[in-house]
Amino acid sequence: MRAKNIAWKAFIHLFMLIIVAFCLFPVIWMMIISFKTVGESISGFSALTVQQPTWANYERLVELIPLWQNLYNSLFTTIIGTITTLFFCALAGFAFAKYKFPGRTALFYFVIGTMMISTEIGAIPLFIIMRKINLINSLWSLILPRIATAVGIFYMRQYILGVPDEIIEAARIDGCKDFGIFTRIILPIIKPALASWASLTIIARWNDFFWPLLFLRKTSKYTLMVSVSMLPVSDGLSTPWQVVLAGTTLVVVPSILIYLALQTLQKSGIMAGAVKG
Amino acid sequence: MLKALKKHRYPYLFISPYILLFLFFQLIPVIWTVQISFNEWDGLRTMKPAGLDNYGLMLQDYMFLDAIRNTLYYWVLSAAGVLLLAIAIASFLNSDNLRAKTFFRTTTFLPYVCASVAMGLIFSMLFEENSGLINEIIVKAGGNRVPWLTSSSTARIPVVILHVWRLTPWYTMIVLSGLLNIPEEYYEAAHIDGASGAQQFSNITLPLLGNILFFCFVTITVDSWKLFNESYVLSGPGSSNTSLFQLMYQTGFTTFKLGYASAIGVVLILILLSISIVQFAIRRRQGEL
Repeated sequence: MRAKNIAWKAFIHLFMLIIVAFCLFPVIWMMIISFKTVGESISGFSALTVQQPTWANYERLVELIPLWQNLYNSLFTTIIGTITTLFFCALAGFAFAKYKFPGRTALFYFVIGTMMISTEIGAIPLFIIMRKINLINSLWSLILPRIATAVGIFYMRQYILGVPDEIIEAARIDGCKDFGIFTRIILPIIKPALASWASLTIIARWNDFFWPLLFLRKTSKYTLMVSVSMLPVSDGLSTPWQVVLAGTTLVVVPSILIYLALQTLQKSGIMAGAVKG
Repeated sequence: MLKALKKHRYPYLFISPYILLFLFFQLIPVIWTVQISFNEWDGLRTMKPAGLDNYGLMLQDYMFLDAIRNTLYYWVLSAAGVLLLAIAIASFLNSDNLRAKTFFRTTTFLPYVCASVAMGLIFSMLFEENSGLINEIIVKAGGNRVPWLTSSSTARIPVVILHVWRLTPWYTMIVLSGLLNIPEEYYEAAHIDGASGAQQFSNITLPLLGNILFFCFVTITVDSWKLFNESYVLSGPGSSNTSLFQLMYQTGFTTFKLGYASAIGVVLILILLSISIVQFAIRRRQGEL
């Protein structure tokens, strides 16, 4: 029995270590190659050792694509997109959680129902709409349609339901108006929910590819993700892999760092909080 | 009516941004897609009514049939792969026998935060026919080089592997949250009754996870039918690994056949809608709604 238990324990750890290796390997491998000189071999196993580490691939990147402009575009859409979506999802979630009004249940089921319709399906007319309102090549085309999302509203509502009514009543008696209650009472209380939702949104927006590809049609307007996706063909159809992987390192490492930072910030595990309930 | 609206103006006001955005950027585009699909249009000149021509064209279009076949392949294999891996990893992460749980939880989640486009580029190098690491390993093990992304018969495999690689962490976490909700007493009782670990897993864990696994299956289904980034970056020869959604994008925005692209969009709408209806019906039967 004891021997069997030890064998089982060993098996679990071995299995998990293999999974971890699979999870980390592509990322580590990418980072190693991004520091190799263009002349060094990158085929097969020889890819895993670096003879002369160099920053040259990153410098080459700046020559190939408008890196700083693209980085700014990515940061702008990610940051503004996250802030606006947090605000408006929490606002609607607050209305569903703490107000009684005609049609509340019906409207709430309606919002849940809209989750079934993916925005991507309407991509063709959406492109026409964006062209009509002059948002093609504008970063706002990425922010505006997702200023409030059904999933976000649902998540915020679940969390705000747990805020005691007495606090809101007390604020109202003290003369706090509806919008004031939201900004001064609700928002500070739901900070943990905002933080978990923010981390998921930041990563999703930073990694966003389809929408920027569709709406942004000028190199100077591209987000980093679009520029990087075009790297293999940006240096006359044969960009060295070292340079391509320097580009992917630049987009992957920030999301990993953000995830790790937020993970340590919130011991309970941000992602676990996001799916609960 | 007006009085009620005035009395309850704040909640309506707070919800209105979402409703407006939904109408403008979701509902109208979907309805419009259906309308465009009955026309011939390049996006610039006026539309020409085409009746059901676009739909008739589909049945003879080998690219469309390829895309349907590829997407079915992606759906079935990713659903199976992701669910099996997620159940295994989540169970181990939840096991009392595992040390360093925080380390394992953090690292196994990492693929989910990595951009699929960037990872796609990396996978295209790993699966490269002549210098890629995967083939190098196969050759070392005594096998022959596989022309992964240059042959139409194997081009779908790297796409599925990347999709499973990126999605498994997310579903692992959902399954894990389900496991954490199963009361410890159930296992204690089963233990006293002499049930083995395997018996406990199949008689307690799996049935109690039923709803969560069903939810995961539905969302993976939706994710797979919307698959775009992976097959876009890891493109094989011709339409050998094009997904249905990708075909819609290409038809619409590289060949500018907006009518035909919209017809493909309508097919996607119908597929996703029937998934939702099935999900709704099953949930209702289980008394959840």
